[in-house]
Amino acid sequence: MKNDRQRTFLLITLPILALFICFNTIPLIRGVIYSFTNFKGFGKYDWVGFRNYIDLFSDARVGKSYLFTIKLAVVSTVVVNVLSIALALCLNSKIRAKGFFRGAYFLPNILGSLVVGYIFNYFFTYILPAVADMAGISSLSTSILSSPSKAWIGVMIVCAWQAIAMNTIIYISGLQTVPEDVYEAGGLDGATGWKQFRYLTFPLIIPFFSINMVLCVKNFLMVFDQIMALTKGGPAQSTESISYLIYNNGMSGGQFGFQSANAVVFFIVIVLISVAQMKFSGSKEEQL
Amino acid sequence: MKGKRLKCLGTALCCLAAALPLQGCGASSDKVEIEIVQYKPEAANYFKTVEDEFNASHDDIHLTISSPNDAMTILKTRFIREDYPDIIGIGGDINYSYFVDAEILADVSDYDGLNDINQGYRDIAEALELVPTEGTYIVPYVANAAGILYNRDMFAEHGWQIPETWDELTQLCDSIQAEGILPFYFGFKDTWTCLAPWNAMAVELSPSDTTKQVNRGETTFKDEYRELSEKYLQLLPYGPDDPFAYGYNDACTAFARGEAAMYPIGSYATPQILSVNPELNIDSFVMPASDAKEDRTLNSGIDLGFCVMAECQNKEAAYEVLDFLLEYENMQKYIDDQNAVPCKNGDFRLASMLDGMSEFIQSGNMTDYQDHYYPSEMSVDALLQTFLLEKDVDAFLGNFDTSWLRYNRDIIRLVQEYEKSH
Amino acid sequence: MKHTSTVGKSNKLVLVLLILGLTTIAFPLYLTIVIAFKQPSEMTNSISGILSLPKTWSLNNFREAMEVTNFWHSLRNSLLISVLTVVLSIAIHSLMGYALGRNKAHSKFYSFVYLFIVSGMFVPFAILMMPLAKQTAELGLANWFGVIILYVVFYMPMNIMLYSGYLVNIPMALEEAAKVDGASTWTTYWKIIFPIMGPMHATVAVITALAVWNDVMTPLIIMAGSGENTLPLAQLNFQSQFGTNYNLAFASYLLSLIPILIFYIFCQKQILNGVTNGAVK
Repeated sequence: MKNDRQRTFLLITLPILALFICFNTIPLIRGVIYSFTNFKGFGKYDWVGFRNYIDLFSDARVGKSYLFTIKLAVVSTVVVNVLSIALALCLNSKIRAKGFFRGAYFLPNILGSLVVGYIFNYFFTYILPAVADMAGISSLSTSILSSPSKAWIGVMIVCAWQAIAMNTIIYISGLQTVPEDVYEAGGLDGATGWKQFRYLTFPLIIPFFSINMVLCVKNFLMVFDQIMALTKGGPAQSTESISYLIYNNGMSGGQFGFQSANAVVFFIVIVLISVAQMKFSGSKEEQL
Repeated sequence: MKGKRLKCLGTALCCLAAALPLQGCGASSDKVEIEIVQYKPEAANYFKTVEDEFNASHDDIHLTISSPNDAMTILKTRFIREDYPDIIGIGGDINYSYFVDAEILADVSDYDGLNDINQGYRDIAEALELVPTEGTYIVPYVANAAGILYNRDMFAEHGWQIPETWDELTQLCDSIQAEGILPFYFGFKDTWTCLAPWNAMAVELSPSDTTKQVNRGETTFKDEYRELSEKYLQLLPYGPDDPFAYGYNDACTAFARGEAAMYPIGSYATPQILSVNPELNIDSFVMPASDAKEDRTLNSGIDLGFCVMAECQNKEAAYEVLDFLLEYENMQKYIDDQNAVPCKNGDFRLASMLDGMSEFIQSGNMTDYQDHYYPSEMSVDALLQTFLLEKDVDAFLGNFDTSWLRYNRDIIRLVQEYEKSH
Repeated sequence: MKHTSTVGKSNKLVLVLLILGLTTIAFPLYLTIVIAFKQPSEMTNSISGILSLPKTWSLNNFREAMEVTNFWHSLRNSLLISVLTVVLSIAIHSLMGYALGRNKAHSKFYSFVYLFIVSGMFVPFAILMMPLAKQTAELGLANWFGVIILYVVFYMPMNIMLYSGYLVNIPMALEEAAKVDGASTWTTYWKIIFPIMGPMHATVAVITALAVWNDVMTPLIIMAGSGENTLPLAQLNFQSQFGTNYNLAFASYLLSLIPILIFYIFCQKQILNGVTNGAVK
């Protein structure tokens, strides 16, 4: 009996693992090999040893992009998770027109980035300054996207606006695993509102919380579409994310080898962050 | 219940699969296949017509032209797969230089059609090679020109004259401003637009081979670009208050709606402007950046040229296709369609918004864009945007020099090796 | 009595909050619709101009957008790729999620495989692009089928994470009961575990379908030169550096939004059905 179980698990795991290695690990290794060359993306190339990696650590632009990306990721992750949990709880409660609301709040995620870019550019460039003028807030009377110190806030807002939909879906499906009788029992003990959430609901959706945290951190660290749609790295290179640099200079420009090195380092950084995150939330899960 | 649903799903999938196109059965037989990939999606309709006309009139060659968006990414991924088209249509910029250096283009110096190409553009093409080569690798097709677009009706109404020197330009701007009109519109949020006035002034203020001189170690950008940078800053007060808030599209719309008298950009912007306001009467003039009007030269470069790939199996057929593309009627059609400047000699009809530039085009007085020599990964456009925001000439030029050495290390080594051996 | 009245009150509050939040979605949506109906000559930079209704409500933009993108053909390609990817993802990823989720706590091997695959999520796509373009061509997969395989691999890490997270709340007792009845692990999975994960299947379907539906890069580099388009690829035709027809583009985006929205609403029902079935306890 036990053997059957183990054999089945192996028969499931091995072929799928092989598929994964073939289309993820092997290309990655090939990419890592390019990071030791001055390959432009076409034509001939030379081996340059560790030059790309040494350059990477002395490149101010790369350093700046790491700072920007991490700042964006941390703030967006917090904002998105707080709002998505709240939204998921709201959408999961007994309200009218639930289906309508769920559909509506899903929309930001499906609007193409050209549309999102155009609308938010318009909003930040014309509408927000006009509103701020009327309200007498002078710090917002010029477009925040044109200020190197404030543009990241615009990017953050759009990232959050788009990401909340997906995270909410995951939280909603997490809330489905919370059995009704937990609330009934809790209701008898007088747990309502915040207390009910903190001591009954939240512990039960911790696996989903940690999934969302990991996905958020990953998605925001790898932010690309929103940058392309909104600022293209400007103003004054203040919103160049790491993925933007890797794609723009590696694929569109002729720095494929160097940006492969950047991608390798970046990959290691995200894996470390995420493993730490998973370890942390894993220990939380075990406590329960 | 479950089983039924699964069956439905299965049937649906089978239907979808059956609806698939049968791939892999390529076009037939004895005809020579020629495939062109060209990088200007806005000219897709023109190339579709050319393709149809060519195939209707030729029995021995079958031509396919694709005009994909993001063609450079597509080309690069196809190169790495060794799936080369026969001819590529690209611009005369750093990518072309890289392609020549990578030896993936065929030498077309034996192509007769080259003799009809304007010598000015042939020289520009030669200059783009990182180190001089024996061969010719591109057939220049059409060019674009950058300078200043102006609202012709507004100028006529106020009796403003076309400036021919830098001082006349600033005086003109002052008098426009005095009448409560915005002289320039800028769309600096899109960083690439920062390059338009820069290029247009650079052709007069610094040598056309500045970057090559720097690569040879003969000069620095600090010396060559100082006047240019200072003059660029002087333009800013004549633009909108916060030019970094507006993108290219905003600027086109604003200019089309008469919110500014002039817009320093290339001729390529006119279709977008006219789509907003088809009635607008646009003309252009050459950006006067120096004090002597004889110094003026038109900022013009190869917008589209055709390169035969080294892998092309049938050069004769490729040349026949090029002949067809270069036929007078076809070129005229392209020019009308895209407001382009032809690279071929001949009596072509130019769009009216190029009136102010036509004497320069006819006399061959033109100089290539400086940015065609900048590697795109250095993001000079973004450096310029930073400079315009911070207005610090020394910091900008210092950064320009160090970044240049960093991003061009391999090219500089190539150039210096070449210098040593020649 | 008292109890129900407080519930009613808080629900009204929730409703008000939800409606307020809705404005952040209604406004962009309104702009999208209005712009999709306007002509390029109606575009201005003034706020009243952009907010105004189009002069005529003509469907011409939609008609033209459908023509430019070869709508039905591109839609078919997009549907084919999305549907097959979703079906394969649900089948393969849920199995893998089950195998890994049930074993990673006590087996070093499975926990390594789990971390190995999940870390694949963090590989920047740009570094894979060139090698994948080459590899798919070498394997004869430079077509829609190659795109589907790549998607199944790309979304594997995230989906496996989701499935094994969901399994934590599914008690082992269910499987053990089946084992007592003499069912093999394989049968137990398909008969008991797979149906219980219904809400998760719907979640995975939505997330995967959405990512696939909007993706440009993978088909761009894999199907380049094949002459076949997906909807997002075809929509690239509306923008170029020197000019973008926003009106046609917005019309086209509105059109391509409809299928995925319908799919989402359908999946939402499935996510909820999981509870009413009372399967999870």
